[in-house]
Amino acid sequence: MAKGGGNRSRLLLVLLLVSSLFLITLDLRGVNLASGIRGTVASVFSPVEKLFSNLFSPIGNFAGDLRNLGQSNEKIDDLTKEIDQLKSKEILDEDTIGQLSQLRNVLDLAARGNYKVVAAKVINRGSSATFKETITIDIGSSSGISKNMTVISDGGLVGVVKSVSSSSSTVLLMSDPTFKIGVRIAGTQSIGVLSGQGGNTYLLQLLDATGEIKVGDKLVARGSEGGRPFVPGVPVGSVIEVQSNASSITQNADVEASANLNRIGIVAVVVSPPKSDPRDSLIPKPNPTVTVYVTPTPTPSPSN
Amino acid sequence: MSQLRVFNTSIFLFVIFLIQETIVSRINFPINGFSLYIAALMVVLSLEDRTGSMVFGFIGGVIMDLSIAADTPFGQWALVMTVMGYLFSINKESIGDFTETPVVFVGFISIASGLSLIFFAIVGTLLGEEMGGIFRNLRLIFVNSLWTFLIIPLFLPFIVKMRRIMLTSREK
Repeated sequence: MAKGGGNRSRLLLVLLLVSSLFLITLDLRGVNLASGIRGTVASVFSPVEKLFSNLFSPIGNFAGDLRNLGQSNEKIDDLTKEIDQLKSKEILDEDTIGQLSQLRNVLDLAARGNYKVVAAKVINRGSSATFKETITIDIGSSSGISKNMTVISDGGLVGVVKSVSSSSSTVLLMSDPTFKIGVRIAGTQSIGVLSGQGGNTYLLQLLDATGEIKVGDKLVARGSEGGRPFVPGVPVGSVIEVQSNASSITQNADVEASANLNRIGIVAVVVSPPKSDPRDSLIPKPNPTVTVYVTPTPTPSPSN
Repeated sequence: MSQLRVFNTSIFLFVIFLIQETIVSRINFPINGFSLYIAALMVVLSLEDRTGSMVFGFIGGVIMDLSIAADTPFGQWALVMTVMGYLFSINKESIGDFTETPVVFVGFISIASGLSLIFFAIVGTLLGEEMGGIFRNLRLIFVNSLWTFLIIPLFLPFIVKMRRIMLTSREK
């Protein structure tokens, strides 16, 4: 009896494993089964995600808030006083102000680069169980979005659209370890490849053996054929440390991204590349330093 | 195992998956996130009999493959979770009734969650996917297991109770 049960379990195991391998084979051979099912699920999920995005947006940063728990008690008294003051004033929701600011900045960046964009709200971050760094945005094919479109934020490059459903899209973030982009150093025009490292820093490998990298060098996207997946001129990041390795043929450097990927609420998808390469024009210019010259004038003496 | 229970458990897993995709994945956990769905699935697998572990492993894996964020072949999670279900089914007797000691149970679920992610990374590598650096992945898996260990005790009574409700009177 037990042997019969064991055989049945083994048969079931084989059946399930074969089914799994069959599904994988279908997917890898390009049968649209998976994308169709995932697209349907995405269409069903996106209204729910949008709803929860609006309802639970404050909980996203609860971990950061926990760190400030110790200071909370001290702040309670101050905050209680402030509440009375705030009640008497018309105040806009800080979240909305933040989003408006991000939207204004990203549209400003797109206008300067002559990119035709569609703005989108981030409604989800990628599942932690896939090892992929992704976000989900609330626009899809019905808004003219398709695969391999560049996604930017107010700071610069965010990533590239990986999959699209009718009302949402998944964006592969530039921090993903599989993400690679051709970049150009603003000014020197040396070219290289920037790779995601799965964190906040990125690796720049210069293709030109004679080229030089300096700390503070700004990087922009070189752009792809037809503007896909990358439109040219988008700020990507700046060099924070040059790696000195005598045995390496090319120079490498650690790079910090222009966009803060941990704090993106509003992004824009570039649906049409610019007619001409904006070159280095999108790199933020340093604020001019105000110099005040003071000429001392002789003070009248009391004797006069 | 009745068809009704298979249906009910599948719906339950799908609801947990919905919560995972719409709420839990929105939370910016330090270093890496926590997968409520994997943890809940491990709890279900650990409480099932031999057949149930494998069947719900497969169904749970197929549901995970539906993830919008997944950039992996459809069926990869089904394969991984079927293997996990099999491992649960053959090791259940040798481990003993760990469900009576909550700390051991939570530890077991955390390790099983980590193990499933390791299997997922191995299968992904065998299928030729770019999975990122090995140390990064190991760190992500370790942190995921750690979050599971810390958070799953909050949900464990609910999951166990829901599973008990789904049992038919004969199975109870």
